[in-house]
Amino acid sequence: METVTTFSGDYGPQRLSVELANICNLHCSYCFRADENLYSPHAEFFPVDLLRRVISEARTVAGITRVSFTGGEPTLHPQFTETLNTIAEAGLTASFVSNGWHFDRVWPAIQANRTALSHVAFSLDGVTRETHDRWRGQGSFDRLVRAFSRCYMSNLPFGLKIVIRRDLMDQLEQIALFAARMGAASLHFVHVMPTSNTVADTAALSLEEQRVAEQEIAILARIFKMNIGLDVGYYNIDEERPPCSPLAGTSMNIDYRGRLSLCCNLSGFRGADNEEDVVADLNVESFADAYAKFVSLAKAQSQRRKTALAALRSQGLTPDLYTGSPCLFCLQSFGKIPWH
Amino acid sequence: MNLTPGKHVVATDFDGGEGILVDLNTKKYYQLNETAMIVWKGLEQGKSTTEIAAEITSNYEVALDQATLSVERIVDNFQTYKLISASQ
Repeated sequence: METVTTFSGDYGPQRLSVELANICNLHCSYCFRADENLYSPHAEFFPVDLLRRVISEARTVAGITRVSFTGGEPTLHPQFTETLNTIAEAGLTASFVSNGWHFDRVWPAIQANRTALSHVAFSLDGVTRETHDRWRGQGSFDRLVRAFSRCYMSNLPFGLKIVIRRDLMDQLEQIALFAARMGAASLHFVHVMPTSNTVADTAALSLEEQRVAEQEIAILARIFKMNIGLDVGYYNIDEERPPCSPLAGTSMNIDYRGRLSLCCNLSGFRGADNEEDVVADLNVESFADAYAKFVSLAKAQSQRRKTALAALRSQGLTPDLYTGSPCLFCLQSFGKIPWH
Repeated sequence: MNLTPGKHVVATDFDGGEGILVDLNTKKYYQLNETAMIVWKGLEQGKSTTEIAAEITSNYEVALDQATLSVERIVDNFQTYKLISASQ
């Protein structure tokens, strides 16, 4: 019997995703962020004053209750403590995604703002030192385990995010078991976002492989108590409902320059030749004006995808991966993967 | 006898002297109180149980025989859970 994977349709609370830093201290070859940002000698950090203004306006205009910090690596922000303070003072909750390398250093800031933090998401590349450090450098795994330890002992919920490279296809259950034993509250799988033909051919899964992986993830989600899901790149050809939170208008991305854009997975994409997903510069525009543009773009993009799916359906064709996956559809239609 | 922390164990210091060990083989956490953490750190530095007990007496108001007993008990626990290995 085939196990069907479906998008849950739960878009989560109204929220902002804010890139705190353009840079990262690690070099993961499959990362979709552009090298010129991640390894720029010119580090740029999201201004705390702008954060304060934006969350205040976004709360009123878009009803946001949560902020998730991304990057680059958000813990590299020199005012990381102040960013968490800002969330706490606003009465919102925050989370952030991290490679865990600098977790010891930012731990005092986390403790000081514990009530404002809902959880931390850590990026994982394997369940042993050897497999994880192969992608993230020596010492990464031990630092990550120390970060788990701090969270576990302090009752700060943490989740794991792992990109399903082809070499991990047969390890999904092992990964879930590792996450559960480490006390993770959630495990979110992510498909590889292809940044070149080489990445697409060597690391990313084919449509058939994706289906197998997604069925396995659905089974794991039923077996394990912790929340298990697939965040990015899933195949979903439902024409009735928006396939993701950005297109549903519930999550908005702000890049490290302070520009509102459709989705964190499109932002700063390696090799992109288009930035039509960027709708406004919040340094000079109000969130209200920017949000109106955001909603308009999200609706237009939803309609564009509906039309593409309907056209294939009318011809009796099954959508290929680059149409069936909302993420790949957006990458393609926003000019992020010109090589494809 | 040399007592060596296992390479499969990751230790984390907490404020106040407590700590936590993660056994990467079993994927289990072990919470250490302040004394156990001193013992663990001592073993990491290659100290003997006698040296660790002496260190405890120099920093805390405790008699040497009591400190030695505590250190030995903690080391026994580490061995029971295969967190350290012993060699001649």
